[in-house]
Amino acid sequence: MPADPGTTAAPAPPYGAPSAALPAARGGDGDRAAAVVPAAVSARGWGWRHAGRAAPALRGLDLEIAPGERVLLVGPSGAGKSTLLHALAGALHRDEEAEDFGELLVDGRPAEDSRGRAGLVQQDPETQVVLARVGDDVAFGAENLAVPRGEIWNRVTAALEAVGLDVPLDHPTAHLSGGQKQRLALAGILAMRPGLVLLDEPTANLDPDGVLEVRDAVVAAVAATGATLVVVEHRLAAWAGHMDRVVVLEPGGGVSHSGTPGELFAEGPVRTELIDAGVWVPGHVPVLERAQGSLSGRPGQVLLSAADLAVSREAARPAHSRPAHSRPAHSRPAPSRKGPRPVLSGVGLDLRAGEAVGITGPNGAGKSTLALTLAGLLEPLEGQVRAAAELAGGLPPEPFRWRAADLVSRIGTVFQEPEHQFVASTVREDLAFGPRHARNPRTGRPLFTPEEVERRVDGLLDRLRLGHLADANPFTLSGGEKRRLSVATVLAAGPGVLVLDEPTFGQDANTWRELALLLREELAAGRTVLAVTHDGHFTAALGARTVTVGAGTGGQQRAPGPGLDTSSRSMLDRSVLDQSVLDQSVLGRSVLGRANPLGKMAAVLLATAGLVATLDWVSAAVVVGACLALLPLSGVGPLAFLRRAWPLAVAGLMAAWGTALVGNDSGAVLLDLGIFTLTEGSVAAGAATGLRGFAVALPAVLVMASTDPTDLADALAQKARLPHRFVLGGLAALRLLGLLAEEWQTLGMARRARGVGSHGSPGARLRANLGQAFGLLVQAIRRASRLAVTMEAKGFGEAPRTWARTSRFTGLDAWVLLGGAAVGAAATGAALAAGTWNLVWS
Amino acid sequence: MTHPVSTVPAARRSWRVVDIVVAAVIAVASGVIFWAWNLAYAGIGGLFLFFPPASSIVTGMWLFPAVLGALIIRKPGAALFCELVAAVVSAFLGSQFGLTVLASGLIQGLGAELVLALFLYRRWDLVTALLAGAGAGLFGGINDAFIFNWFPEYTTAMKLVYVAGTTLSGVVIAGLLSWLATRALARTGALSALASRRAAQEPVFG
Repeated sequence: MPADPGTTAAPAPPYGAPSAALPAARGGDGDRAAAVVPAAVSARGWGWRHAGRAAPALRGLDLEIAPGERVLLVGPSGAGKSTLLHALAGALHRDEEAEDFGELLVDGRPAEDSRGRAGLVQQDPETQVVLARVGDDVAFGAENLAVPRGEIWNRVTAALEAVGLDVPLDHPTAHLSGGQKQRLALAGILAMRPGLVLLDEPTANLDPDGVLEVRDAVVAAVAATGATLVVVEHRLAAWAGHMDRVVVLEPGGGVSHSGTPGELFAEGPVRTELIDAGVWVPGHVPVLERAQGSLSGRPGQVLLSAADLAVSREAARPAHSRPAHSRPAHSRPAPSRKGPRPVLSGVGLDLRAGEAVGITGPNGAGKSTLALTLAGLLEPLEGQVRAAAELAGGLPPEPFRWRAADLVSRIGTVFQEPEHQFVASTVREDLAFGPRHARNPRTGRPLFTPEEVERRVDGLLDRLRLGHLADANPFTLSGGEKRRLSVATVLAAGPGVLVLDEPTFGQDANTWRELALLLREELAAGRTVLAVTHDGHFTAALGARTVTVGAGTGGQQRAPGPGLDTSSRSMLDRSVLDQSVLDQSVLGRSVLGRANPLGKMAAVLLATAGLVATLDWVSAAVVVGACLALLPLSGVGPLAFLRRAWPLAVAGLMAAWGTALVGNDSGAVLLDLGIFTLTEGSVAAGAATGLRGFAVALPAVLVMASTDPTDLADALAQKARLPHRFVLGGLAALRLLGLLAEEWQTLGMARRARGVGSHGSPGARLRANLGQAFGLLVQAIRRASRLAVTMEAKGFGEAPRTWARTSRFTGLDAWVLLGGAAVGAAATGAALAAGTWNLVWS
Repeated sequence: MTHPVSTVPAARRSWRVVDIVVAAVIAVASGVIFWAWNLAYAGIGGLFLFFPPASSIVTGMWLFPAVLGALIIRKPGAALFCELVAAVVSAFLGSQFGLTVLASGLIQGLGAELVLALFLYRRWDLVTALLAGAGAGLFGGINDAFIFNWFPEYTTAMKLVYVAGTTLSGVVIAGLLSWLATRALARTGALSALASRRAAQEPVFG
């Protein structure tokens, strides 16, 4: 097969106007969609042991799935459901450490060799997306299967239509909601035309609307293509009615039950067995032993109150960058000014002792932001959060002003991702961390004696059935155990107010029930529980008062500002990396934005080659001047440019100072500092050194600011012929940049909620920073491993692939090269003419 | 129970998709950490006003991805690839060294890579990590001070002090910290899909 079968086909739509170049081939496309051949699955005594594990994840599995059958796969956690799906998707590989048993066939051939027959969607929406633009992302799988270029774009538009995702092809994938991302992932799979669609808890991370949105898209798409469907889910109600058969796996492998949803979910021993295993059987809500009435009716005094509160994640900046409480509560930031925009404002709320409050509302309404602000982790944008004297215990009333060590014994916050809050290497140490660091603010002495800490830890281990795991690493626990531990660690320091963000997401029914019971005990003990949740059963179980935020009720919702064109980007904080690769607003519009990245980089080399060779201020000044003159071509505004360039200027000044201080002395002495002297000669050399460094870096700023990473990767793989696996792997990783930066912020808050603060000795601060960096690395590697499965399940590998978009050189690139060469020549010429040329290696 | 010190059959040397993606994401995450620390410690530069060549002692931070990536991925070229991706990330975020950061990344990565190649990609213990960090620091320092010659007016003695600083920084920050991080990561189970999954049980020397 030729490496690029698409060369003669229709050209890829140009970025920015994709629909213009699409051939009108929808009719033919529909015919091909009908040509999907549903796949048969056959497991015979199949099993798999992962590398480095003693026990197989799955063994002795016998299962036949007929072509076109729709199967719901259920079973307790640890039954190997994900392993089976990964194997069917061709993402498991035999090596000398992993071991397989029996056979697993797709259409009679080993699953491992059936690349492209199956498509997989996993749980975490963030790692289901590979590329930065919607169209490219849908095309990715088809490219890997070497579908001809012209055909790919037909498939892309058809697939987006099939899942009902009505956004432009160049729409940033980062702006999609969780439900939209999962539908995008489904579209990417449909574009591969697979005979087998595999869904591994595709809706576990979504709110109820997102669940239905994705479920409907799946049902419609499978009905249209007739593909075989295998779904793994914990919450079965949304899916059961659309499935032909339910297969129940038992721990360690093997099918324990198989039948229609009606048969298995009817009252009877199988239903009971599933409920005992924690499966969310349709119609089942866990029963809590105690009467619900005992909870309500006696809320005590107000512990925490919010008045006229406006919240934003963008307020989470270093304290020195914003004036504290300088803005009167009634003022509003001028809409034209670039600054934090409240996601929610005008909130008033009282939290009483012994009271449970559930915060609900649509996605992007600012529920989590509100909770984090109430919890003292984000600073209020406007208005106030005040703790009553009983809660503050001698501290000023604003929780955000409290030190982390004081916060943990007053307000505890449980984050959605338990791993964000683990701070020690064993379960026991993790539980002890909060109480051990809690201090009495007046005396500065520990709040708990070592014996008390020990007692609290033992009590919690016992209460949460984690005793047998006391010495285990928290990161190695199961999902339900992690959730229990994360709640326990926050309870350990005895906070009066407990804040939880979506505590029941992705949890099985058993963990759900334990969580509800635990929180009811806390309520009975007079503590306040505030939960952000979509789970109506959960708020009911807690006897919670519900506060709905979003349009109308608990607070008014601000419309998203310009550029934020989807309703649901609450998770993406623009302030984090607003000057980074995510800012694509200038790309594709400016002259430099349209040029080939390789040409631009070559032009930068030509322009700065002379500077690398010489140390003189004339050539450096010429290059700096040329950059400023060419600024309009890059499409980068002067302000944006300044924001990117000022660190370079600072670095230049540092270099200038360094050379002036320790460089060779000559001429009159200007300043004598003992060991070092500043002389006319050394200061002049310093100025030249600083200017040189600045001038070398400046053209790169111009070029990188106008370069889209995807375009660069296309050029590197297609034009520079670098290995496509490494180029695209790097590109997919780069897409996680914004996400990881956001995760860094979240980690900072989650760890503050555990008592890890940015105060204390330099040593303590260094440890806190290293701990946060470690937390980020864990999340990064976990995400990367899931992303790798996504890419591999989309056929990514060493086989030749096609490219939906071609990287090409045009006449513009000749001009760009010429321009770079002209700047370089002018710089060198000017320096030679002025007599300042001065080789650095001489 | 003892595990054999990893012997690397030829098949294990080829890169799988998960190796590529994890390596690249490690580099990107390192970029985020640098970026965050840069914001937090914007003023740290002031410390080096007194003796500018001392700034080299923190350069190990920039070499961190090379050694960490290699210790985790354990494939030929991992140090080079990670350091190159990290360089691309810093170029996109705005590097004070312009596009030369790509050349620097290549040279620094090469310094670590050569050390690992000398051990035939078979040893991943503390000594290897420290030496790989030293290699990255040495190459990076020589590159800064003598090849790109960012400080042409420094005396040769100052330049040598600078190179010694980058090397030492490479040993401690890139070498020691990476080695500790790899073992701690292995304990979390995050490396279960990778060749370093048992790093925490491996002997410190050997």
